[in-house]
Amino acid sequence: MSDRSPVLELNAITKTFPGVNALQDVAMTVFPGEVHTLLGENGAGKSTLLKIMFGVQPADSGEIRIDGEPARFAQPADAMRAGIAMVHQELNLVPQMTAVQNVVLGRERTTAGVIDWAEARRRARESLARLGFDARADVPVRQLSVAHQQMVELARALSVDARIIIMDEPTASLTTQESERLFRIIEGLRTAGKAIIYVSHRLKEVLELSDRITVLRDGRLVASRTRAEVTGEPDLIRLMVGRDLAAIGVPPSAKPAGEEILRVANICRPGVLHDVSLTLRRGEIVGMAGMVGAGRTELARVIFGADRASSGTIHVAGKPAAIRTPGDAIAAGIALLTEDRKHQSLVLGMTTASNATLLKPPTRFGFLDRRRQNTMTEDVLRPLNTKMRAEMVVGKLSGGTQQKVVLGRWLLSDSEIFIFDEPTRGIDVGAKGEIHTLMRDLADQGKAILMISSDLPEVLGMSDRVLVMRRGRIVAELPREDATEEAVVHHAAAE
Amino acid sequence: MSTLEKVTETLPPAGRGPGARDFAGRIARQAGLLGVIVVLGIGFGIARPFFLDGGNMINVLLQAAVVGILALGQTFVLLTGGIDLSIGSVVAVAAVCSGLLSHSLPAVVAVLGGIAIGALCGLVNGLLITITKITPFIITLGTMGIFAGLALIIAGGQAVYGIPVPFSDVLAGGVAGIPIPVLLFILLTVVAALVLKFTTFGEYLTAIGGNSEVARLAGIAVGRNTALAYVVAGGTAGLAGAILTARLGAADPTLGGDLLLTAIAATVMGGTKLAGGEASMVGAAFGAVLIATLTAGLTTLNVQAFYQQVAVGAAIILALVVDQLTKRRA
Repeated sequence: MSDRSPVLELNAITKTFPGVNALQDVAMTVFPGEVHTLLGENGAGKSTLLKIMFGVQPADSGEIRIDGEPARFAQPADAMRAGIAMVHQELNLVPQMTAVQNVVLGRERTTAGVIDWAEARRRARESLARLGFDARADVPVRQLSVAHQQMVELARALSVDARIIIMDEPTASLTTQESERLFRIIEGLRTAGKAIIYVSHRLKEVLELSDRITVLRDGRLVASRTRAEVTGEPDLIRLMVGRDLAAIGVPPSAKPAGEEILRVANICRPGVLHDVSLTLRRGEIVGMAGMVGAGRTELARVIFGADRASSGTIHVAGKPAAIRTPGDAIAAGIALLTEDRKHQSLVLGMTTASNATLLKPPTRFGFLDRRRQNTMTEDVLRPLNTKMRAEMVVGKLSGGTQQKVVLGRWLLSDSEIFIFDEPTRGIDVGAKGEIHTLMRDLADQGKAILMISSDLPEVLGMSDRVLVMRRGRIVAELPREDATEEAVVHHAAAE
Repeated sequence: MSTLEKVTETLPPAGRGPGARDFAGRIARQAGLLGVIVVLGIGFGIARPFFLDGGNMINVLLQAAVVGILALGQTFVLLTGGIDLSIGSVVAVAAVCSGLLSHSLPAVVAVLGGIAIGALCGLVNGLLITITKITPFIITLGTMGIFAGLALIIAGGQAVYGIPVPFSDVLAGGVAGIPIPVLLFILLTVVAALVLKFTTFGEYLTAIGGNSEVARLAGIAVGRNTALAYVVAGGTAGLAGAILTARLGAADPTLGGDLLLTAIAATVMGGTKLAGGEASMVGAAFGAVLIATLTAGLTTLNVQAFYQQVAVGAAIILALVVDQLTKRRA
């Protein structure tokens, strides 16, 4: 590998935001035909570095070299011309446009400004097919599942024939099978001599995929090693957080689950949910596994009153609960931490305090009590080890911190039943462990938790019981001791 | 490769546009609008048979043409998620300028001059919006006043009279009995619809309105394309101004106020979203025809003007309510 010359070099990259040193003197060298993983906790500076590589924002100082030649990226178009493509962490699609339109967006072949749609469709179809895309390519992408949208995003990068492909957490919303398919594609790209810059928090897949791993911590380069020089997950975790961490998940304490608090019976929603029943008891964490599109999020939305069921009943603490709106659900003590934090949980332009106290803002003589709002927020978030100030705009916080703000909101609302939908998606190892500990603490305090997750180690490591959904039905209920990776995957994928 | 076959199945077989199914949905909506126009026409025709005379119907289309041409331009702007409140004032500026130009220059040059001045006004809007990053509502609210004042200043505070006959003939004349403004309206509708569906300009405006950050990351020149949308809106307003001057035989510096809101109404009736990212040119044209039909029909029934306003306002809301209901069912 050393005989080849690097395709991309970053030297002494430094970037400062007001009050924060986002990156300090960071270097990275990427060779063709390798998967180079960039690792680090949230806030370590990975996203900033990726943005600099892709021309989204400039570095304050330092240099970028492509094929040994200095390059300047003032805007994404410059980076694209240099052969760089990027799969963004947050879905970057135009919701009103079809998969085909999104794949070729900005790179349509034209004659006198007129788009050659036949060619565009052929090109889009080709790169979608490589990913095994099996949804409609001619409906607006907002009608597709998150996993399918992610494939569209990936197909965009594949269709440009870039030499350097940046992938920012591409597996965050994919199921095991879908991830496997992605890994095969990455293998193919590597064999074809492409350079892949890969970001993921899933250490297992990082170890499987990477040829080289560069670790950032607090905006500084900690280490850059070949795969052979890394001994295993604990090694990586030590590099990332500077300390050792226990295995994923916090296992249940010995004490048995308490009384039943939620009973969902025979819920139907045409085409989505078929006769779904489940119960939750105080003090337990119930994991909900299944493929993306199996109906898990849809079930959570029905229980929370965000969508209507066509039939079925919900009992809370033994009493029938008429839940027609999220307001009803909140009054019944049900909390939903949605999968898509940025669009469904947080008002990004409002402050941390406003977001945390959104359900019941404190008032004094009918006026908002800002001071109490801040103290309430700090009181609930400080125990969660949150780096923030109550007056900070929530959109500027890292993913892990944002999730804690959402959690703080529900803690302030006296909820008894917590539904977590992908609670640690896109969250780094350190913050993930804290959120797991917090979930276990909640259970130990007698709350009931339903945890929807596509991260199998998380489901297995956290749950007292595991439910598996497939095609809108609950197809298996596994007690902790029977819940193995093989068993869950078998039930989730069986035909 | 089996996966390729699978994808092929899910792709539209022979549709020409980006999404055949989506396209079918829009056709259905436009057919609905057309249906309402036909029903209204027949209804008014039963009450007052002369309403369905060829001459009267052409007159209705002539009424629709000015608003319709404005609506087409506005649709490009709304598609980006913006709005152009100044087009009414641009109509006045262009009307006055083309009227003054017609005194000394050939008629065609005067018409093109009106369009060029409108486009220039649009360029001012577009540059102010993309450079200052102030929201289009505020910028065009400002230029609405500026352009309205300019029209009065240029005209010396009164209408411009003495429009030469050749000028009126260029725009108020007809071919085979169909007035030129109506022909222009139809032609521009087709052109605008094709631009929207088959050019990168239309595609990029859709992307910008749908999610401008995505557009930027896709390497699209967001500022240039956005500014160009305002230039197009200004140009169509310029043409509308020239047509009005030709039809009235005088250039009125105070016209334009009502035109703005009627044009926006026609656009949204046609299915264009104020939030951006979705637009229909044929829908905007039908919207303009529908409003003109309603107004003309109520006039023939001797309904007083203020009741007409109530009816048109109710029709706009009704159109969008029906749209919502059908979408929910789908």
